[in-house]
Amino acid sequence: MMEYKKNNFWKYYIFSEDHKIIGKQFMWLGLFFLFFGGLLAMLIRWQLGYPEQPVPLIGNWMWPGDGGIINPDIYNQMFTMHGTIMIFWAITPLLIGTFGNFLIPLQIGAPDMAFPKLNMISFWMMFIASVILLSSYFLPSGSASAGWTSYPPLSSPAGGIPGLGQTIWTIALIFMGASTMMGAINYITTVVELRTTGMDFFKLPLSIWGLFLASILNSIFVPVIAAGLVMLLLDQTIGTEFFLAGRLASGDPGDPLLFQHVFWIFGHPEVYILILPVWGIVSDLLSVFSRKPAYGYRVTAIAMSTIVALSSLVWGHHMYTTGMSPLLGKSFMFLTLLISIPSSMFFLNWLGTLWKGKIYFTIPMLFAVGVIWVFGLGGLTGLYNATVTADIYLHDTMFVVGHFHYTLAASVMFGSFAAIYFWFPKMFGKMLNPILGKIHFWGSFISLNFVFFNMMALGYAGHHRRIYNPLEYTFLKPLANMNEWISIFAFLLGIFQVLFLINIIWTLWFSKQCKPNPWNATTLEWTIDYPIPHGNFEVSPIIYNGPHEYSRPDVKDRDWLMQNEYIQT
Amino acid sequence: MIIKNKSKQWRFIPLSSIWFQDLPEDISLDGYRIDNVIHYTDLIISIYFGIVVAALLYFIIRYRASLGNKAVYDKGDKKKNIIITACLGLLVFLSVDAVIEAMSFKDLREAFWNFPDNEKVVRIEVMPQQFAWNFRYPGPDKVFGNEDDIIPAQNQMHIPINRPVVIQLASWDVIHSFYLPNFRIKQDATPGMITALWFQATKTGVFDIACAELCGNSHYKMLGYLTVEKEEDFEQWLIDNSPEDLGMADEWDEWDNDEQEDAGIPEDWGWAWKELK
Repeated sequence: MMEYKKNNFWKYYIFSEDHKIIGKQFMWLGLFFLFFGGLLAMLIRWQLGYPEQPVPLIGNWMWPGDGGIINPDIYNQMFTMHGTIMIFWAITPLLIGTFGNFLIPLQIGAPDMAFPKLNMISFWMMFIASVILLSSYFLPSGSASAGWTSYPPLSSPAGGIPGLGQTIWTIALIFMGASTMMGAINYITTVVELRTTGMDFFKLPLSIWGLFLASILNSIFVPVIAAGLVMLLLDQTIGTEFFLAGRLASGDPGDPLLFQHVFWIFGHPEVYILILPVWGIVSDLLSVFSRKPAYGYRVTAIAMSTIVALSSLVWGHHMYTTGMSPLLGKSFMFLTLLISIPSSMFFLNWLGTLWKGKIYFTIPMLFAVGVIWVFGLGGLTGLYNATVTADIYLHDTMFVVGHFHYTLAASVMFGSFAAIYFWFPKMFGKMLNPILGKIHFWGSFISLNFVFFNMMALGYAGHHRRIYNPLEYTFLKPLANMNEWISIFAFLLGIFQVLFLINIIWTLWFSKQCKPNPWNATTLEWTIDYPIPHGNFEVSPIIYNGPHEYSRPDVKDRDWLMQNEYIQT
Repeated sequence: MIIKNKSKQWRFIPLSSIWFQDLPEDISLDGYRIDNVIHYTDLIISIYFGIVVAALLYFIIRYRASLGNKAVYDKGDKKKNIIITACLGLLVFLSVDAVIEAMSFKDLREAFWNFPDNEKVVRIEVMPQQFAWNFRYPGPDKVFGNEDDIIPAQNQMHIPINRPVVIQLASWDVIHSFYLPNFRIKQDATPGMITALWFQATKTGVFDIACAELCGNSHYKMLGYLTVEKEEDFEQWLIDNSPEDLGMADEWDEWDNDEQEDAGIPEDWGWAWKELK
């Protein structure tokens, strides 16, 4: 076993090489951006619900020149930054950064990551990326405004987005990609190499399966988007024309479609990168709080792996309206629909886990059950977008926005919240307040369904995306009331998240330390007392059991059996 | 819900304006196909989601710990369980995915990707620019790219009722998307490439043309008007807008022309109709 010295403050808390500290650093970063991106969402909703009316409270202070009204330039910057921040700076660090770091070594019984220094650099690379991204707010022309997809030619100076914001966005994303790449290499190596004695792949908790598979996708596809972004950066800065064509190109034309292909070859796996850890975490939590083994564990793990393979073959369903060849359109539709087989299999396994269980409605469990609902809806509504003909109508409408908010915003945020409520006792030694947690869950659950379901209804009525003022259109005028309702519930949704923040702060300040294994869970992290020392395990644990040994008939006095407990069978 | 509006008066937002919206009025020959596939999907996913929710609610109520249930140690990994799960997965695929796939492929083959090619076809070139729509009609000789081409005022598109309209698109600057909600269709216009779509109107009137792809800060104002009119009116409109005729309608067009110049209507169209396979 390696020896870990006690380090000074800087080495321990700031440039720490301890995976647990790095995980917490990612969590604070992710939470900061979650609230920042959420605030942007509130402002976007204000503009859509109350078009061109002054923003209450902060409007006059933020935009005195416009009388407190959000102008179209600012609006475009807002939804661009909202998308970018939520996907790359909130969800990614919250799920993959935080729980990838915190859980992987603890749950596989390793002393730390395979490359602790790389891990530290990964966080600081992310930090630099964040500073770069936020610096664009201080530019006179403002931040990026070509959407989170940032399609050229719009995102190149030739396409009419003025100023540096778009270039800064590209650079920030390249740094972010480098950070993600370092993390992915680290996670894969750690899971493959550092599993403790007896920890077979099929004894790994499903959370680790999810994080591991997500890292594989990251390591394959982040380089693709990185290459695309470097080409975009060259287009933006030194005048190459990879993605320019027609009148915007001076020489031999490049191809704007090339960027879309490169973007979605990464972009579609990206949504699975974000959702895979959630699937894993939810599978584990359902098992813990049903006091019952995860139903069809192997099937779930294999289904998730199958989806990983399929996810890299379906990017074309984002591009049905670009004029792609009919043969390609059909192939992409078929491959996309294939995903529904493994998805429905693990989804059924979730229900199977609840079946004949002994269900405790703790806060993490509420969020995990919430994921079944929101992911069910999000997954099923994907069918419309996978269908070429339906997508011809629904593409680029609010329907798509509602759909991906169900899968990404609702499912992934609920998964992250479940994980934070569940592992908070192991991260900080304290239990988050369950009453505030319940209000947080029910408030969020109800309001998010009003928000995202109604967004889909808007898209159904033809409401297209990314428009500053829907009242410009005759066919959208009757939707004004619906837009207003969505905004009201969106504000409520925002308010309920503040409770979560209060809960975290309150708990850290005032709560007492809780038991080392408050949930009676079986995985390895619960065998160590808080605070977990650098190096984690005093003695490398030996694994005898699977990760979900609950209510085993041959264990008498309690209903769980730790992974490293040996019993005679 | 009661809320204060701009004029500081309290008013009521109707509750009926949540949860459900109808598709906009369909005035096209083939729009019903898209409505059908959407409605089938609505129905089938409502059934499946209903089953999931029913099972979920039943399980979490029936098996909650406070009832004193005992959990059953069942890993669900026997061959029987796996086969049942796989069969249910396959059932979902066959009843949902396979059906909508068959519907969609049939519609693509019969309608959306089956471009009409006969005497009745009206051919129009569309070139969007930031933030307006330009249209070009071939004129009496039916050939694009010569003197008698008709370029009407920006954002004004006229088509005759009950005749197939084939459109080719290319963008002047950035990517735009030609979107007709009442016809259920949408097609990106990308610089450097020509894309196409076709449709046929079944009702006269004026309908919105929207840009569905973000194209800059005034993307939301990129609104065009599609006028569907009777054959004779359409022919008359073409004559009124033909290049020789423009001089005669000076008074009207002077004001219009100024605006066109401000918006920078492309002098040189730069591309012409291409026979696509």
